Amino acid sequence: MAEETATAQQMADREMVARIGRGDQSAFSALYDRLSGPLYSLAMNMLGDTAEAQDALQDAFLQIWSRAGTYDPEQSSVFSWSVLLTRSKVIDRLRARGRRSRVVVGSTDDKETRTEAADASTIESATDTADKNDEAAHVRSVLNNLPSEQREAIELAFFGDLTHHEIAARLGQPLGTVKARIRRGLLKLRQRLHT
Amino acid sequence: MISEEQQDQAALYALGLLNPDEDAAFESQLSASAELRDLVRELREATGDLALTAPSRLPPASLKQRVMRDIGMEPERSAPIPTQRASFAWIPWALAAMLMVLCGVLALDRASLRRELTDARAADPLMQTIFFTLTPSESAPVDAKATVAWQPSRQSGVIRITNLPAPQPGRDYQLWAVDAAHKDPISAGVIRVDKNGVAQIRFKPVDTAQQVKAFAISLEREGGAPKKEGPILLVGTA
Repeated sequence: MAEETATAQQMADREMVARIGRGDQSAFSALYDRLSGPLYSLAMNMLGDTAEAQDALQDAFLQIWSRAGTYDPEQSSVFSWSVLLTRSKVIDRLRARGRRSRVVVGSTDDKETRTEAADASTIESATDTADKNDEAAHVRSVLNNLPSEQREAIELAFFGDLTHHEIAARLGQPLGTVKARIRRGLLKLRQRLHT
Repeated sequence: MISEEQQDQAALYALGLLNPDEDAAFESQLSASAELRDLVRELREATGDLALTAPSRLPPASLKQRVMRDIGMEPERSAPIPTQRASFAWIPWALAAMLMVLCGVLALDRASLRRELTDARAADPLMQTIFFTLTPSESAPVDAKATVAWQPSRQSGVIRITNLPAPQPGRDYQLWAVDAAHKDPISAGVIRVDKNGVAQIRFKPVDTAQQVKAFAISLEREGGAPKKEGPILLVGTA
């Protein structure tokens, strides 16, 4: 049985998705308000293009609407489920266009400074959604404290849409080494974020 | 015991890096191991959290309108600007004045009704009761349901459950109050259903609830747990 410590927010999310599964549009609207910021940030970071990121987010939310009835809380939280759906939509777009993410692996703080300034979307105010920003800062801090080779492998896998074979080729490392770096890094993230 | 190779595969699976054949092979291992499923779930949560490390951005408001339109909900629209002739320009102002008068009358009426409602609430305990309808999650029978009548002033309530079969030996159902002032759900005790899957009991949470946002029933070890550990079977808000 999954060891769960569901927070009130997670339970509220599950309730919202259950209502969406029954066709409740107001619950869908509320879930959009809660998740669209981080999901759009993910899409922008991977696609680097405002119009494509918006299209991917639109596709992701339509899938959330149509799949809410099959969501299984035993497999993942609503947030993680939504992230994986969105990432899948982003990857579809990257592959359809035959190109890879523009993500440059390095520290996440560095990445922030490299974000395209020409993007017309709003950069979220630091004072807005303080809780979410605290959580994001914590995750960034944990990620940045991983050994650099583990962080690099995880970022290439998650944001770069590279397979483990492609990561091995890009880093010039044996496949087994790359797998071990991803495993160790992700296990450390899990340990530091969820225990 | 999960081998290092299985951990490798679990991490790649959580990141969506396995090819379809590897996916299928790993999923057959998953179906046979609860421990492996737990690991994958936790790795998925860590993977999901990675999204938070992307530089923070907000989508434009127009995107929500597009999405809501696609699911069939009419987005809010700004009223069209009328192109009327100048000689009738006084009509909107007259309508606005009439509406203001009407709003004043309604406001007085509303204040009166609110006073009556406050008096009635003070006199009738039923009016102080908040009702919660709990509906089944994926893990529960589809026709299981529960209703909670909660009285914040008394810090107690009554729950009625139907169509929830008795748990397997060594397990119990436990009721939880999700309170805005508490990080973790507050236990409201173990619930035992009869052979027909029905229970109706009075409960009192173990800690004071300031503002209950939801009630939930989970499947726990026999006798209940101090903090929720098992899966949620029923959950609902007011």
